[in-house]
Amino acid sequence: MAKSKKKIMIHEEKCTGCRICQLMCSSIYKQRYSPAEAFIQINDAYEITPKISFLDDCILCGQCAKYCLYGALELKEVEE
Amino acid sequence: MNFYGYTGKILNVDLTKDKIYIEDEKVEDLKQFIGGMGMNCKLGAELLKPNTNPLSPENVIVLGVGPLVGTITPGASRTVGLSKFPVTGAIANSCGSMSFGFNLKQAGYDHVIISGKSEKPVYLLILDDYIELANASKLWGQDIVETTNNLWKRYERCGVISIGQAGENLVFGALTLIDKTATFGRGGLGAIMGSKNLKAIVAKGTKGISIANPKEFKQLYKKQIERVRNYPQRDSWIELGMLRSLPINLMLIAKGQKKKAKQASEKYYLKELKKRRIACPSCPMADKDILEIKEGEFNGLINYTSSIINPLMMLTLDSLENANQAVKIFDIIGRYGLDSLTITSLFEFLGNMYDKGTLTKEDIGFEWKQDYNTLRHLIEIIANREGRFGNILADGWKKIAELNDTIANEMLTIKGLDVVFEPRFLRLGTMEFEQVVNPKGAHVASGGSPTYVGAGGTLEKFRNHFERMGIPNLAIDRVFTPPIKEMGIHVGRLTRYSEDWYTVLTSLGLCARAQINRFWGLELATEFFSAVTGFELSSDDLRKAAERSWNLLKIMNTKEGFSRKNDAFPKEWFKPLKLGVNNLEFKDFFGGTIITIDIANQLLDDYYDERGWSKQNGVPTQEKIKDLGLDKFL
Repeated sequence: MAKSKKKIMIHEEKCTGCRICQLMCSSIYKQRYSPAEAFIQINDAYEITPKISFLDDCILCGQCAKYCLYGALELKEVEE
Repeated sequence: MNFYGYTGKILNVDLTKDKIYIEDEKVEDLKQFIGGMGMNCKLGAELLKPNTNPLSPENVIVLGVGPLVGTITPGASRTVGLSKFPVTGAIANSCGSMSFGFNLKQAGYDHVIISGKSEKPVYLLILDDYIELANASKLWGQDIVETTNNLWKRYERCGVISIGQAGENLVFGALTLIDKTATFGRGGLGAIMGSKNLKAIVAKGTKGISIANPKEFKQLYKKQIERVRNYPQRDSWIELGMLRSLPINLMLIAKGQKKKAKQASEKYYLKELKKRRIACPSCPMADKDILEIKEGEFNGLINYTSSIINPLMMLTLDSLENANQAVKIFDIIGRYGLDSLTITSLFEFLGNMYDKGTLTKEDIGFEWKQDYNTLRHLIEIIANREGRFGNILADGWKKIAELNDTIANEMLTIKGLDVVFEPRFLRLGTMEFEQVVNPKGAHVASGGSPTYVGAGGTLEKFRNHFERMGIPNLAIDRVFTPPIKEMGIHVGRLTRYSEDWYTVLTSLGLCARAQINRFWGLELATEFFSAVTGFELSSDDLRKAAERSWNLLKIMNTKEGFSRKNDAFPKEWFKPLKLGVNNLEFKDFFGGTIITIDIANQLLDDYYDERGWSKQNGVPTQEKIKDLGLDKFL
């Protein structure tokens, strides 16, 4: 049976630059609301196409995707 | 002391002396004057001397950001700016959104006080503890979009407040844009920054905000965000943004302009104009727009706006033929740092005066035509202060009134600012009435209530909203007792509580727009405030703090000479408004009663009564001042 693993799918065109994902991440792992310290980074938040990336420290807990209100992040189980 | 929510720091910048220092805030002050707007009033009252020239080095700019900003609290991202404004001569707070306030808090500051005048153009750079007055000589002369793009490129992910050429040229009505999107400082904040040789303010923070009671806060957050997620109208708000709030196409249909009405429709906006939806930090109801023109002469133009209503409202001008022209003109206005609301009112008014022969070619220096090029020319001569007429217009409505008596009598202004909400079209809700009593003059925000366009419904639903806003029960009874029974609600009395509610939201940093506002109530806001800051204040304390701030603002303006005579209804409101084939009269919110001068004065009397102010001169009484502990500011 194929193993599955978690993956966060990114739909950058739906990102509004609200930073809720970063705020949620930093509140869990840094105990403060601090986008600069989040494991998910949003660059060019207000450009035509924002750039979303994950730092190596991200453990794919999926809380960012759970609280993304615009459908830009989606937690999926994919086959390895 | 450890602060939570608040940073406890005020950044002081003296541009004349090139001196920067940081002050600590006092806990007792933060309990009397809550956050952004409240503390701004206190600091402004201490710093501003009466009769200061708004464009002199003695004027100050106080920026304030509330205790919920920088956290994940839904819709908490507002920046508040207090100063003495050149258009009206009044001391007032302006509000703007996008990412500046959020970044300022993340950098470690609740307030910034800017005084004096720099010898050369500078921008204020705030990168956590690194503060610099940086050389802005290369930015001077650039428009707001160019300036912001350059600063974004240099300091990525920063919040930027910038002025354009109109601010540099001291055009009285020049405003600023935050992140080239959100208007900030209607009434002249752009000119004030220009007078100080301050091109921009940049903030970028990486410190994070700690919460006093994180578990309680997160529970409150989760509950609140589920309410927002489950709101049946949410998808529609996200899709349409601010277009959902004002039916501009109906206004155009009423004017008999069906072709243009189609271009102000939802369908046209979605297909032809909308490029991308953007949100302020922490906002679950994103409503800001990146627009794109997709064909024709202006093909490829990208415009950022905090409300799609503003460019589309320009379509009401006979001179503009289509939405692409409206967006292009709106973009030019924004780049210069002019106020699109004022330009729209001004162009329509001057056109009417020209048609009547009240203004002539000799007066204005060119031939007036109702077309795109004339509108564009008008914008250029105002922003660049070109010629005699350009200079008159750049000095604002008070200067324009000096042209002749007809103009002075027929202009739709309050305290020198043009009317935004026309009650003969929208009827008399609190948004419309508040324009009369706001110390700032005709304004767009402070009178929000269930009388928002299309909101409200039955009187019973109104009661729910009143309770949510924290209006005391006895006062609710008075709000339901208007001068004439058929009016249903007393807009004068209700406006007092709309202002207080607005002050609570603005002080905490919460968005006041209806689609966010509706999820908040005084009790819930107090719970968030307590969880974030650890301050044990009651809802009554918060309401009283809001009242204290509003009264202090009024006291400051009383010292500037403002009184009841300035809270004047425009005379034109008592005459029918011709809109296409329609003659619209000044009616109450439900449309059954014509508002006469006597009824209007009664509403004003009762507004003062509800505030505990003198009816005779419209200012706080000694008893009220004492009750609020404001004696020391007299």
